[in-house]
Amino acid sequence: MNLTPVAVLGTLAEFHKEPIPYDLNALVRLVSRLHPDLLCLDMTPEQWQQRDFGGLPPEYREALLPLAYQTDIVIAPIAGEQPPEELTAPGQRGKVIKFLRRWLATLQRTAPGPDAINQGLRHLVADLLYSLGAWLAGPATRQKLREHTDRMTQAVLELARRDPGARILVVVNVRHCHIIRAALRKYPEIQVVKYSNL
Amino acid sequence: MDSGSTDTYLFILSSYALQGEAWRALLSNHPGIIFSGTLTEPSQIATHMRLERVSTILIDLPAPQPEIAHRFRTLAPHWGLLFLVQSYEFSVILPLLQAGATGFISRDASVGDLARAIIATGRGEIVLPSEIAVQSLIALAKGLPVNQDKSEPLTERESEVLRLLARGHTNKDIAQELILSVRTVEAHLRNIFAKLGVSSRTEAALWAVQQGYGTS
Repeated sequence: MNLTPVAVLGTLAEFHKEPIPYDLNALVRLVSRLHPDLLCLDMTPEQWQQRDFGGLPPEYREALLPLAYQTDIVIAPIAGEQPPEELTAPGQRGKVIKFLRRWLATLQRTAPGPDAINQGLRHLVADLLYSLGAWLAGPATRQKLREHTDRMTQAVLELARRDPGARILVVVNVRHCHIIRAALRKYPEIQVVKYSNL
Repeated sequence: MDSGSTDTYLFILSSYALQGEAWRALLSNHPGIIFSGTLTEPSQIATHMRLERVSTILIDLPAPQPEIAHRFRTLAPHWGLLFLVQSYEFSVILPLLQAGATGFISRDASVGDLARAIIATGRGEIVLPSEIAVQSLIALAKGLPVNQDKSEPLTERESEVLRLLARGHTNKDIAQELILSVRTVEAHLRNIFAKLGVSSRTEAALWAVQQGYGTS
């Protein structure tokens, strides 16, 4: 069987809108170095076809889409619909979510580059905080998040089946990384690898 | 880490030294492009160029003549010859194409478009503006013998690839349209060449326009 290597790289997404210590050039350099065949992004096929990039996170709009345009990297839009909104909840749960978000912001803003948010303790703690936030936001939000990541996972799987052996890099909000990696590991035709090993 | 990609060695022919330096500054840090040098005079070709360090020549002359394309083509048949043009006028482009040019980029294009064109021509692709691509290929194919024989039928995917090729798409354009890797598109093209009995993408594109693929 022709295994398809897939790496999942997390970005700061919503935190890129705020001041952070590393600029997007670090992400461009990293993805340029990895030079995947297919670059899967959390955007819908409609957004891609209509070139409707206004609502996309800055790391897509200002870094990855221009890079792909100028190189051989092919963009694959993998979202079924727009990503779920920021986590919210009424009352005390909402307050805790805000607190967790501030903690996450501090954690992510102190990351010196994309490597730092994708490995080690920081990556694990961030995942834990995102999971906790989703749990506090309630079952409807969790369901939406699950459907969103399921749709992205299925889209990656379809790509791997259509183009076996292609080197696929999935770049999504770091909150989705663990879920997508775990889901993709269930398929024997896919070999989930660390992004540096793609 | 195997990226599977190869770099494009870029040489620039520009009438003015300063303009050549400006191109160097603009393109030398671009991923996938390695700057090999500049020339201000076409007559310097043989003495100033390390032939093995060239994939694409960007030709920035005020009024490019077909004779220049012919000269480069005779010297090194495998080089990509990318001409900067004022506008995509068929009457300007066709003679250059017939003389051996392999790509055209407007002076109004973006840096991204220019980089894509440099990389594509460096791989032996023809880069034509979409608005006159089919017309140009039909004009080039005119008078060529039509080989109707195909030993094997094309698969559905190969037909799709050939249809896009006949519309003047580059490999990257085809890959993006079909959401396949560029390497997979190249593999499809190799299969197509074998089935059609041709040896290059130009021949395949010309065969395809003769068969009406570009307009279907």
